[in-house]
Amino acid sequence: MSAIGLKIPLPKSRHVLPGFGLSLGFTIFYLTSLVLIPLLALVLRPFELGLDGMWNAISTPRVMASLRLSFGMALAAAVIDSVFGFIIAWVLVRYRFPGKALLDAVIDLPFALPTAVAGIALSTLYAPTGWIGSILMEHGIKIAYTPWGVLVAMIFISLPFTVRTVQPVLSEIGRDMEEAAATLGATRLQSIGRVVLPMMLPAILTGAAMAFARAAGEYGSIIFIAGNIPAVSEIAPLLIVIKLEQYDYAGAAAVGVVMLAASFIMLLALNGLQSWAAKRR
Amino acid sequence: MSRRLANPTEDPLWLKLTLGIIAVGFIAIMLLLPLVLVFKEALASGVKTFFSAMVEPDTLAAVKLSLLAAAIAVPLNTVFGIAAAWSIAKFDFRGKTFLVTLIDLPFSVSPVVAGLVYVLVFGMQGWLGPTLAGYDIRILFSLPGIVLATIFVTFPFVARELIPLMVDQGRDEEEAAATLGASGFQTFLRVTLPNIKWGLLYGILLCNARALGEFGAVSVLSGHIRGQTNTMPLHVQLLYDNYDYAGAFAVAALLAMLALLTLALKSFLEWRYADELAASHRH
Amino acid sequence: MSLVVDSVTKKFARFPALKGASFVAPQGAFVSLLGPSGSGKTTLLRILGGLEVADSGSVRFADLNWLDMPARTRNAGFVFQQYALFKHMTVADNIAFGLKVRPRDRRPSRADIAKRVTELLALVQLPGLEARYPSQLSGGQRQRVALARALAIDPRMLLLDEPFGALDAKVRKELRADLRRIHDHAGVTTVFVTHDQEEAFAVADLVAVMKDGRIEQYGTPQDVRRDPKTAFVSEFLSV
Ligand SMILES: Nc1ncnc2c1ncn2[C@@H]1O[C@H](COP(=O)(O)OP(=O)(O)O)[C@@H](O)[C@H]1O
Ligand SMILES: [Mg+2]
Repeated sequence: MSAIGLKIPLPKSRHVLPGFGLSLGFTIFYLTSLVLIPLLALVLRPFELGLDGMWNAISTPRVMASLRLSFGMALAAAVIDSVFGFIIAWVLVRYRFPGKALLDAVIDLPFALPTAVAGIALSTLYAPTGWIGSILMEHGIKIAYTPWGVLVAMIFISLPFTVRTVQPVLSEIGRDMEEAAATLGATRLQSIGRVVLPMMLPAILTGAAMAFARAAGEYGSIIFIAGNIPAVSEIAPLLIVIKLEQYDYAGAAAVGVVMLAASFIMLLALNGLQSWAAKRR
Repeated sequence: MSRRLANPTEDPLWLKLTLGIIAVGFIAIMLLLPLVLVFKEALASGVKTFFSAMVEPDTLAAVKLSLLAAAIAVPLNTVFGIAAAWSIAKFDFRGKTFLVTLIDLPFSVSPVVAGLVYVLVFGMQGWLGPTLAGYDIRILFSLPGIVLATIFVTFPFVARELIPLMVDQGRDEEEAAATLGASGFQTFLRVTLPNIKWGLLYGILLCNARALGEFGAVSVLSGHIRGQTNTMPLHVQLLYDNYDYAGAFAVAALLAMLALLTLALKSFLEWRYADELAASHRH
Repeated sequence: MSLVVDSVTKKFARFPALKGASFVAPQGAFVSLLGPSGSGKTTLLRILGGLEVADSGSVRFADLNWLDMPARTRNAGFVFQQYALFKHMTVADNIAFGLKVRPRDRRPSRADIAKRVTELLALVQLPGLEARYPSQLSGGQRQRVALARALAIDPRMLLLDEPFGALDAKVRKELRADLRRIHDHAGVTTVFVTHDQEEAFAVADLVAVMKDGRIEQYGTPQDVRRDPKTAFVSEFLSV
């Protein structure tokens, strides 16, 4: 006992709180064994095959077409969702109307609804006999079983990303800036174009990048509506599945590496966007 | 006053109406219509057909397998999430930002690629496949593979909810408990857990929803053996591909109800415990 | 050319924030709105700036029906308590904003805008900070930039809502003196909101003491201090 009669446990390490070694150790072990090592197995695969073999596996017209389709449509979906996502976030943050809470909750439906369910629902909806498909058919537009079906499914599953990244930032910035702009003589259009949109840009781009990443990798909701015609409406993830079913591990790995590289690039882009946004705060 | 003016940040009525109609219309057509269609198709051939499709043995086996896989994957990822958040929020170390990025990594990887990587590790041409086969251990096309796929795709849910929440809450309370003589476990149970319980529940809820609904990764690893290695979403596909639309939409309706329940609980937590969830959900 | 505020009222939902506020100030005067929190100071100031719409009453200023004009055309510089600087723009772009958004025929040339920015930065004693972003400035510096931005449009009226509320005592005193100097230099009619009586009496020509949406007493600092007209005013001034 010390002179003042208090017993204060001496910290064993330089950390005040216990459990550092255990918690970090488990975190790293779990992350490494379940995520990092399996990913490494994919990253190293092309080197086992030789880079030539990998290039040969990727450069076939069918693989190239599927990559173009997955990334091209994902880009289109990200742009479309960014526009509508911003409008939806604006309406949810700025306007008051009955049923707003319900509308807000519905936004997350694509997160919660299993993709296979979304897939068969969208496919039935946009089929030539479906509720929407039949109307579009009268105007000669075909969605299901064409590349446009891929786009529709991607728009569906990626929408929450754009709304949910823009919405909190929009409600946080408040109306001060727009008021300041108005007192300085800006028109409503100038205040939105020169003040609101530039301030929202990091959030808009972050949402778009997340939407793109999700759409490019999406599988479940797309394969039902796409028709999966090789080199026309066949997405890259499906091609991986097909190659695995044919025991063409090398070919599957080659496509997988390209997809993974795209994921890494998006992740880097997202981190860059985040530090950019933080700097401006 | 001769003329009514509006607040300069208030949009004019015509703009409000235009944007409101665009937003509501987009949500109604893109999100709600598919949902309505699922229930309409499920009940199209009568309530009886709906229920008989539900109690079909293969369907029940799929429900059981999905619940089992979630019951293993979700607790594991929960323990991981707590450990990761504890180490990141309560201690300082180098490479922390990098670690957080790595934890988020599975979110940006395609589910099919997630399945693929395990095939490359555990398949017969893979790193561990031949060795494990020697001991007669089967990973692919059986329950362990399905669980691994589920763990991968739901990996960050709990961690990413808890990390910002626990960083926000700081270390004062735990440090106070430590100076009062509480052990690490007591501190966590009595001080930290009460502060994070709603955030934890929120993370588990989302993790569970994704676990029950995962399709792509599980599809690669399951082998699609009817009544044995088919989860609910895979069973939907199987029925649909066999032109059993009533059956497919019956199972789909069940999954859609689970999704709606998840959304309702999620909205409730956001509304009731807004202050106790991570800042990103306070809108 | 004086500012005549006559029986202005404003309700939020059903809560009356202003119950008929009136005062008259000569052209170029420095008026302080003083009162406890919730007394309606901000609401009255925002109505003068066009950021809030009055329910009834009128304001005449410079021979104009002031309340019939939108904020955009009033040409009233507004300084917010929380600065409201545009975070994504440099100091120079912030100050130049009001000039750049003018219609082409009234917009100064680029060189003139740059010159004006330099002058204004000198006036608010922040020379050379053109290229900084608001996040790289201290609170006092930010409020000086906000002031320069409001002055850049050659305002007919300068409105400030507790502009120094978030700053420490020493910086407040400096800024208060600078504000008075700038006011005298520009000769612009100024309405300054504060809940700090020492600050109000130190800078203003005229003080309006507000309570519950009404102006309890209006006069020169000397008159208000020497002869409080109501129990509330004498009590408010004694603390
Ligand atoms: N936008 C608003 N909505 C509802 N009530 C408001 C709003 N703005 C101000 N009020 C209310 O009006 C009263 C006067 O507010 P304000 O003018 O901000 O007072 P002061 O600036 O003197 O503190 C307060 O009771 C406040 O709660
Ligand atoms: Mg106020």
